[in-house]
Amino acid sequence: MKQERTLVALCATCAVLVISMICTTHSVHGQSVLTPPPYNPYPPGILPPDLPSEIERVRREVNFIEKQALTEWEKLPPLNVQGNPPTLQGDGYRTVVVLGKILNYDQNMSPFKDTACAFCHLPYAGFSGPIPSVNLTMIAYPGTYHYRANKRTAMRYTYSPNFPVLEFNNEQGLFFGGNFWDARATGYKIQSPDSEQAQHPPVDTGEMGFPDTACIALRLQTAQYRPLFEAVWGDSLNINFPSDAEAICDTPGGAATLGTSATPIDLTPTERAKANNIYDHWGQSISKFEGSPRVSAFSSKFDAFLAGNYTMTANEMAGYQLFNGKGNCNSCHIDGRSTLCVDQKYGCASNSSSLTDTGTTAQVNPIFSCFGYANEGLPLNPRVAYFYENKPDSFGFIPNPYGFGYRDLGLGTFLRSGFGAAPNPNASWITQAPSVDGQMQVATARDAALAPPQCPTTEAPGPYFQKEFFHNGYIKSLKQLVHFYNTRDVYRFPGVTSGHCPAGTTERVNCWPESEVPDNIDMTTGNLGLTDTEENQIVAFLQTLSDGYTTPYPDINTFTGQCMAGGTAATQGNSSLIPTPPLPPCASAICDVPPIPSPYPIP
Amino acid sequence: MNRMLIKMGIAAAVSSLLISNATFSQVVTPAKRAAHVEIKQGPTLESATDDLVIVRWTSNNPGGSDDHYGVVHYGTDPKQLNQTAKSHVRLNQEHPETIFRVRLDGLSPRTTYYYTVDSMEGNGKSDEVKSPVNRFTTPDTGQRVENYPPPSTQPK
Repeated sequence: MKQERTLVALCATCAVLVISMICTTHSVHGQSVLTPPPYNPYPPGILPPDLPSEIERVRREVNFIEKQALTEWEKLPPLNVQGNPPTLQGDGYRTVVVLGKILNYDQNMSPFKDTACAFCHLPYAGFSGPIPSVNLTMIAYPGTYHYRANKRTAMRYTYSPNFPVLEFNNEQGLFFGGNFWDARATGYKIQSPDSEQAQHPPVDTGEMGFPDTACIALRLQTAQYRPLFEAVWGDSLNINFPSDAEAICDTPGGAATLGTSATPIDLTPTERAKANNIYDHWGQSISKFEGSPRVSAFSSKFDAFLAGNYTMTANEMAGYQLFNGKGNCNSCHIDGRSTLCVDQKYGCASNSSSLTDTGTTAQVNPIFSCFGYANEGLPLNPRVAYFYENKPDSFGFIPNPYGFGYRDLGLGTFLRSGFGAAPNPNASWITQAPSVDGQMQVATARDAALAPPQCPTTEAPGPYFQKEFFHNGYIKSLKQLVHFYNTRDVYRFPGVTSGHCPAGTTERVNCWPESEVPDNIDMTTGNLGLTDTEENQIVAFLQTLSDGYTTPYPDINTFTGQCMAGGTAATQGNSSLIPTPPLPPCASAICDVPPIPSPYPIP
Repeated sequence: MNRMLIKMGIAAAVSSLLISNATFSQVVTPAKRAAHVEIKQGPTLESATDDLVIVRWTSNNPGGSDDHYGVVHYGTDPKQLNQTAKSHVRLNQEHPETIFRVRLDGLSPRTTYYYTVDSMEGNGKSDEVKSPVNRFTTPDTGQRVENYPPPSTQPK
């Protein structure tokens, strides 16, 4: 075993040396960092042309906020530990939040010191993806090793700490809680799914990409803010790392030279336990930041409305009534208030103006999620970069060997501990997998519409900030999102994939391609009978859920990119549609993993 | 030793501070089950292609678990409805009625099917809906039927 580790360490060191001979250098934080040639298995047009400059823009913005956070730390009063159990009296909350913010924006937490957590989550995008052209094209964001990328959109941080530990409720027969689209951050160990969510990207091969969780402790040893981390947690960062640890942490996860071990850094059990504690505290610090008013602010027009301090416009109020009534949105995006639906013809009023909200405030801080999971039946999006990553990169790693044979079964694959997910920590859930194939987390509706001040909408003609919606970014505007819920089954085109809608139809308007995962499609929506005006009114209501109305949203003014303008929200992004290639069958490594989907296999 | 205890105490106190903000999130309490679940409208064919149809009906809100399933028992012989399709819907506790919509896949074109409907809670407990045997006929290959919403009211 020891010999194997020595061999792995030697290989890692050699790999770094070899790569250093073929690498270019660029400056990060005044340091020179080696970067290998980009991984580019993509056909022309998959990567947006402005990707390099946009990556640099976002990194500048991340650095700007990081420096502000460090300045805030320097101005904190000395920590005052009192009582038993010891408590940071007075400034405990603020101190942990500042620490979490510093960690979140630290680009050194990646092998090439180029990717912070925040790279995919900036405030002006509601802490979701900050690059409009990426949102329009490749969907997932490039990781520390450019241009490896994962398969899904970056979920918003906002209100993610409010999701409870993942559980299966036997009485209701549903999964509830967790973090990530596929629930793989369950919270089983440290009882906070959001903290465990924060622990995944640093060691995700397509994201920040460390090969070992101990790399976080290693980098913290030399961090400027090390004293703050140690003071808050009482942790000692005096871990005795082996001499090859730096070389290992400079190598992206998945590198063939590192072997298959999840812990290539050779630590004694005592030192490993210290590194693990630090990793837990790293995740918990970031979660505290995400749960603070700096991220989850409860400062929207809707919050002001609940407090009696904002009067909705006629369109917003009509949208709110539709959200609760005919649109049935609040069956999952629970708004904390009760409603009444008066017209019985189709279960709800066909004339939205006749809806009367007789509810009373049941919850003052609704999250607009039921914390559940659903398969909305989205089409496969051939723009997702992951489908093209079936060739080895310069580290010998193949992100997705199945190419277009990959299917995103979401929660179902996670329960099977399947490809591209994470180990399922509860074996009793595995039998549920066929009933949840294709399901993704019901995200909060809050801050879906949040955009930078200079392009303050997500909707064309704008000026607008291009976002992406749902797990695979197939939807490009809130108008399209509502229209999808409204007409998915009206304009259903079986056997048609994206980019191949028949002549005379317009994709995303009156043609919805077939679902990527046809099992377990949720039928609460799909044919709501909303008019065009009613769709727009629901969009107007969704825009009242953006934080920053009652108080300015922190760091919202950090966007230095370009707004987009022109066109219509209904066809927004349609010029970037590409034809789906002929799809091979779902790879057996995904769809033939027991328990097999039932009653019939996924195509 | 004391120094270590203080450090452990700080870690414990900060941990409890951090996880406390997630504890208020709970599964929404299920609504009380309706004494009797009755179909108010339908069931009827919402839409159909040669191999897939959507059956739709409205009942009073059955209550019980928010996660519910519409269930269709069907077959080509009205006396042998030996196939079952079910689709998930999420109840809206504040709606007096619930629309159930169920996808039936893998059908044959130009074929008449007979069916009854029911609904059930997420744990499989039936709402014991009484439904007569209905029927539909799938269209020819390449054809489609759209019954809801009326084309004149569809959004452009």
